[in-house]
Amino acid sequence: MVYPGGVRALAGVDLEVREGEFLAVLGLSGSGKSTLLRCINRLIDPSEGRVFIFGREVTALRGAELRALRRQVAMIFQQFNLVKRHSVLSNVLSGALGRSKLLPSLALAFPAAERERAVGCLERVGLADRAESRADALSGGQQQRVAIARALMQQPELILADEPVASLDPALRHSVMRHIEALNREEGLTVLCSLHDIDLVARYATRLVALRDGRLVWDGTPAGFDRATFKEIYGEEAEPASGSGMG
Amino acid sequence: MTVPASSARGRAAERASIVAIDWALIAIAWLMVEFLALAFSGRRGPTGMLLTAEQILDLLHYAWALLGGLGLAAAWSALERVLGSSPGRSLTGGVPASEAELPWSQTVRGWFAAVFIELTFFTGWLITELELVTFLTKFGKAADIVRGLAHPSASVLHEGLILLVQTIFLAFMATAFAIPIAFVLAFPSARNLTRGSRLARIGYLVSRTVMNFVRAVEPLVWALIFISWVGIGPFAGVLALWVHSVAALTKLYSEQIESIDPGPMDAITATGASTLQVLRYGVVPQVIPPFLSFTIYRWDINVRMSTIIGFVGGGGIGYILKPRVDLGEWGEVGTLVLLIAATVWVMDILSAKIRERIV
Repeated sequence: MVYPGGVRALAGVDLEVREGEFLAVLGLSGSGKSTLLRCINRLIDPSEGRVFIFGREVTALRGAELRALRRQVAMIFQQFNLVKRHSVLSNVLSGALGRSKLLPSLALAFPAAERERAVGCLERVGLADRAESRADALSGGQQQRVAIARALMQQPELILADEPVASLDPALRHSVMRHIEALNREEGLTVLCSLHDIDLVARYATRLVALRDGRLVWDGTPAGFDRATFKEIYGEEAEPASGSGMG
Repeated sequence: MTVPASSARGRAAERASIVAIDWALIAIAWLMVEFLALAFSGRRGPTGMLLTAEQILDLLHYAWALLGGLGLAAAWSALERVLGSSPGRSLTGGVPASEAELPWSQTVRGWFAAVFIELTFFTGWLITELELVTFLTKFGKAADIVRGLAHPSASVLHEGLILLVQTIFLAFMATAFAIPIAFVLAFPSARNLTRGSRLARIGYLVSRTVMNFVRAVEPLVWALIFISWVGIGPFAGVLALWVHSVAALTKLYSEQIESIDPGPMDAITATGASTLQVLRYGVVPQVIPPFLSFTIYRWDINVRMSTIIGFVGGGGIGYILKPRVDLGEWGEVGTLVLLIAATVWVMDILSAKIRERIV
């Protein structure tokens, strides 16, 4: 993947993700984690290379086909990316946009069944009582839980989480990570989650890949990846980010 | 992520643009020198009077200035080692750091700039026919206008108030009709939404170009066009302000769209939503408050403009102001000017208050 201006963000990453995995992508800022995740649902078009999901070549899809595939792939962002001026419930409902009728959805109207499902998703993340609040009235941790409910609402088979807890208070990280873990364990969803905190990787991931300068430099179980390996890969200067002390 | 102009082609293009800028500046300086030389030469025209500025402008040797300017610009480019960086190079940002730190008086470029500014000032003084003595000694004639303005006459108050209502509604209707059109046009006019396809990029260019043109034409000119279309009266004024407001609001709206947080758009796109849904959920909620604020600001501007639009027959209070100015009814003019000032003042405060609340 080469950005305009010649910045090569990813090079020669050959990665196969198995169904049901909780795959952590580790790397320093600028190592290509976000680019990798965004190439998968085509928020970024890779300049070369191919991405397959469920046997379909995502990189070859256009228009309605691409949108249909995106419905199966939910994304969670570092900055939550909620519609701040909309209610919490409306934000969760927006997860259903891909399968909604166009005109009612433009008027923010959804069928009763979808509304019930949205309330159910909010219950899963413990925020059903905040359904009518404006999204920006919630704390950071709560907003990320709303984003998780939105992802759940989408009824996806794959979750892409791009540094989901990096902008949260360390004390709240596990409360959000546990919800993502539940999607993996209870719903059987495959999770690709970029992280830079090796304690979180060890606690939640079933497999770990590490990126450096856009290249895949490590692939294995979290158990085999300790602080020494971290320093070996990222240099003596790099100090692995430490966990919250909770959990 | 700018790519340095390392190729030979890039360097040639840079040098060409530097010489072009120098050429223009030197040719203008050359013409101003010739202008001042003629003005102070004491030469007289065919009627025996001293030459006017317009006559001098007519006499200047433009071709010589262009030719000489090009020669000097090329010479400067060739002798850069000796003369230091040219104005063109400094405007394109390519001045070497060692030179950029010198005080202006130690560079040729600095002296050129200083002389250029002096020349502009003196030439401008003559071209705009500034006459300080007249300004200071002939106040007498204006005094009765000021006296009249200071003694507003009540005879026109009734008619003035009625036309003031018309003025405010004229501005309101022009703004209201402009909102939906500008709202729709703002999306294809926003750079960040039109990178996707070739069609979108063409739409962007067309919309931006048309809107820039429409905005460049003054509302008074639009009023003249619409007066010959729908006749004299407030409707022509509404149309004139409407056209101008559409262009102005489209620009303000689209710039607001360009500055949104792209995060929510990404999030909605990732759900598999269609383009319209992404705009509705990812863009619109972010721009509604600033759009409201711009719209009220525009209404404020339109009230101000609609007081003038009547001068050419576009309705509103200006319509009765013009004949009174022509007849020298300064007392009545004073009343109308006070009414306009009061309205503009109130609108100003109101719009500021409302916009404060929204954003």
